[in-house]
Amino acid sequence: MNEYVTLTINGSKVKTPQGTSVLDAALSYGICIPHLCHMPGISPIGACRLCIVEVVKNGKSKVTTSCTLEVEEGMVILAHTERILKARKNIAEMLVAEAPNSRAIQDIALRCGVKEVRYPFRNKDCVLCGRCVRICAETWQSKSLGFVGRGSERHVALPFDKRPEFCKQCNDCINVCPMTITPCPGPMKKGEEFFCGLCESQLSMAENIVDTCVDCRLGEGFNCLRAKNK
Amino acid sequence: MHTEKLDNILETTGKSSSELIEVLQEVQKTYNYLPEDILRNVSEKLEVPLIEVFRVANFYKAFTLKPRGEHILTVCMGTACHVRGAPKFLDEVLGQLGIKPGETTEDGEFTVETVNCLGACALGPVVVLDGKYYDHMTAGKLRVLIQKYRNKSCKESKKQ
Amino acid sequence: MNTITSMKSLKELSERTKKDNQKYSKIVTLCAGTGCQASGCSSIITSLHEELKHKGLTEKIKIRTTGCHGFCEQGPLMVIEPENIFYSFVKPKDIPEIVSETLSKDKIIERLLYTDATSGKKITYERDISFYKSQNRTVLEQNKLIDPCNINDYIAQGGYSALVKVLTKMSPEEIIQEIKESGLRGRGGGGFPTGKKWEYCRNAEGSPKYVICNADEGDPGAYMDRSVLEGNPHAVIEGMLIGAFAIGAKHGYIYVRNEYPLAVKHSKIAIQQAEELGLLGKNIFGTNFSFDIKIVRGGGAFICGESTALMASLEGKVGEPRPKDIHTTDKGFNDLPSNLNNVETWANVPFIIKNGASWFASKGTAKSKGTKIFALTGQIKNTGLIEVPMGTSLRKIIYDIGGGSATGKRIKAVQTGGPSGGCLPEELFDLPVDFEALAEAGSMVGSGGMVVMDESTCMVDVAKYFLKFLLDESCGKCVPCRVGLSRMLEIIDDITKGKGTEEKMELLKETAETVSIASLCALGKTAPNPILSTIKYFQSEYEAHIKDKRCPAGVCRELIHYSIDEDKCTGCGSCLKACPHGAISGEKKKSYRIDDDQCEKCGICKEVCKFNAITIS
Repeated sequence: MNEYVTLTINGSKVKTPQGTSVLDAALSYGICIPHLCHMPGISPIGACRLCIVEVVKNGKSKVTTSCTLEVEEGMVILAHTERILKARKNIAEMLVAEAPNSRAIQDIALRCGVKEVRYPFRNKDCVLCGRCVRICAETWQSKSLGFVGRGSERHVALPFDKRPEFCKQCNDCINVCPMTITPCPGPMKKGEEFFCGLCESQLSMAENIVDTCVDCRLGEGFNCLRAKNK
Repeated sequence: MHTEKLDNILETTGKSSSELIEVLQEVQKTYNYLPEDILRNVSEKLEVPLIEVFRVANFYKAFTLKPRGEHILTVCMGTACHVRGAPKFLDEVLGQLGIKPGETTEDGEFTVETVNCLGACALGPVVVLDGKYYDHMTAGKLRVLIQKYRNKSCKESKKQ
Repeated sequence: MNTITSMKSLKELSERTKKDNQKYSKIVTLCAGTGCQASGCSSIITSLHEELKHKGLTEKIKIRTTGCHGFCEQGPLMVIEPENIFYSFVKPKDIPEIVSETLSKDKIIERLLYTDATSGKKITYERDISFYKSQNRTVLEQNKLIDPCNINDYIAQGGYSALVKVLTKMSPEEIIQEIKESGLRGRGGGGFPTGKKWEYCRNAEGSPKYVICNADEGDPGAYMDRSVLEGNPHAVIEGMLIGAFAIGAKHGYIYVRNEYPLAVKHSKIAIQQAEELGLLGKNIFGTNFSFDIKIVRGGGAFICGESTALMASLEGKVGEPRPKDIHTTDKGFNDLPSNLNNVETWANVPFIIKNGASWFASKGTAKSKGTKIFALTGQIKNTGLIEVPMGTSLRKIIYDIGGGSATGKRIKAVQTGGPSGGCLPEELFDLPVDFEALAEAGSMVGSGGMVVMDESTCMVDVAKYFLKFLLDESCGKCVPCRVGLSRMLEIIDDITKGKGTEEKMELLKETAETVSIASLCALGKTAPNPILSTIKYFQSEYEAHIKDKRCPAGVCRELIHYSIDEDKCTGCGSCLKACPHGAISGEKKKSYRIDDDQCEKCGICKEVCKFNAITIS
């Protein structure tokens, strides 16, 4: 038998089994908290920081990621305060500038309210969410790839940059990658750094979010109108 | 295969996975860098996944995966050295040798490394060349110092 | 060697060592800390040994090589007891004279004396030097009295009596109470109450428990921990023993930076000597308390000073921090309760037990008690290590102890707290240095680095330096820290190149705010401090870079030009010869010119010009 705890998220009472993360608890009640690196059933790393929330304790509030935070009896969570929304939007803006080609990330940015990207595009093909790394290690017990290096040098790599013989070639690393979910057809060229509009999530359509929702699995529980209308 | 040296190292450090950093430090000391085949061996012997070994080898500054040069020049980039002008001569020496920090010159003579602080702040700017400290360094002095080491190894190779 | 099993045998050993020292008419104390070693003290030690042997004085005069005395700028240092004559900049060729004059005839050698930076007077005794006079040394004081490789020296100074006191007279709860009452707070930067931490760890479930000493001093411009561990390792060990007894821990680790080989060596020797005397290991002091300490060398990563990253590194893993929703006192090293304190914190513990909580609490301010060691560096006359009561004003530290500007230029800022700290302007130099006051001003006490900056320092460049440092040292795990810092660096780099705009400044501030709110660990959360504090206090410098495309301090390369003052140039040609980039042209005996396109702004010409003819605009 699971023991249940009751906590408050954005003022609503939420009852959930012990051991659940605040993010999962919120999502299961339809409370939308954006997230990128989180995957159901895979251990959280709190890397993308999109799912930050405020935890109120003894009159003080602390910001932490809801994916790594375990529910506690009587916990008070504020997921959409002005401070959180602003930081979240800025993080989404950083992410979309890192990898503007990713439709999944464009989608997240839109839903976090990004209408203008003020950073120069970097056109990277990885945002280090670590979905591939964890699915390989946890679902397949393979540990064929991992984060290598630190700071801005950090990247996902194979040991000695060679595919190890114990890699099962399951392709899961590719399947869970936010860059490969209906990717943008062509990489942007230097000097032509704008959203091409070939996929629906272009920024100019931010106001009409309902029509552009791509229903990607990543988008589950985002703060989008579509979820509210359901 | 030269697993003998590794076995000797493991005898002193033990084979627990928590000794990984200690083992790699000894390997680095023995070989002057971390050779790939040795790391594969370490992974097997300590039962640490290969990717973890590779990650640790890449994460810590003490480790290099490429052989280092004959002379190691370490430039302290601590705050005290910075405000006393360390970046000026770092750029200068890199230009002189034609490399980036952490790289080795083509002739295998010099490796230039930067360190965040050597804790000799009162004497800054400080550089260490082959373990010897040089204090109150300037771009001009460093240039002369490098030239001296170059000439010295030139002479030695001529003798041979 | 016999093990020590009672207060009596500890006292006997202490008396015996003191008596041994009284046999000598003079004791020559030589600083052999890393600073003085870099200045060449090892050859002095050898020549002194040889000279004494040669003169047959080895029975009369004792040489004591010690850890850092703190006044590194003046190194190599020599202090002659019992008078405490202070000689600075000692060279091997001075040794015969020191032996024949000072050691044999009590004659002072004028030229080796320290010259007071302000008055220009020669000063004979260490206690009269303003650098030392204005300090209040507790932990550092012992450094010059102890040969770190000789446990007897430490015992002669009352060492290990605090351990004996807690083992024979105090319960763990009483120890924790004592530490709580003393008001001791973590010296590593966080300032968390030490007694409270110990209590959490004592009450945590799980076994075995660990105590860990954080000696991964990564802050550039700070070397307090190194000097304490190098110069007085037993104080740290004794502190850890007391902590372990109070917490109920069986194993201890000292995690020390690999860049500090001497600290590693000395702590290894100290552990071995303590074990031989039965002060460390199984059944310490004949009781059923057992505790061992292992030394682990770090791999060179600043982030490993963060507690969760340090513990990951101890486990042999990559030093990435994890979220701290569960405290390390509950689940730390190997997921077991672990108590981590910094070197200086541990070293303070024996003093508190020996002298009592109220002695410690009588120094400092309302919320920050005791004394704190700072590394005073930068463009200041007396650089070195200092120990002052918490609450001492920045002005007193910079001018009374530090002696003011080294270059004659006006001191405009002091950077405290390492890369996560901030830059405080001269207007705030009357602030008392304590945890709260500095935090309120946008900086922090941190581990205790203080870098003094004069007008030749560009504050935008300083902010850029710290950003670059933190980005290199970030583990890269979370987006705000990795991407946010790199975006901030991008913007500030543009500013130093004269490409900054007002809009970008706003974006810089917004990004800084996001990084400080949303980052995973303390490195990211505090990373914007240097930027925010320089923007707050040195707005005009940013404006000069952005609006006027000008670097007032003459540091940012893209914004400065080197030129030759024709009136001062004598046409000697040394700049032409020295310029590695062929940017200087002209004829001998006539004036020279610098070609702006060729000039790489390395400053070598300015360095070699004897006539001060090279100017920066």
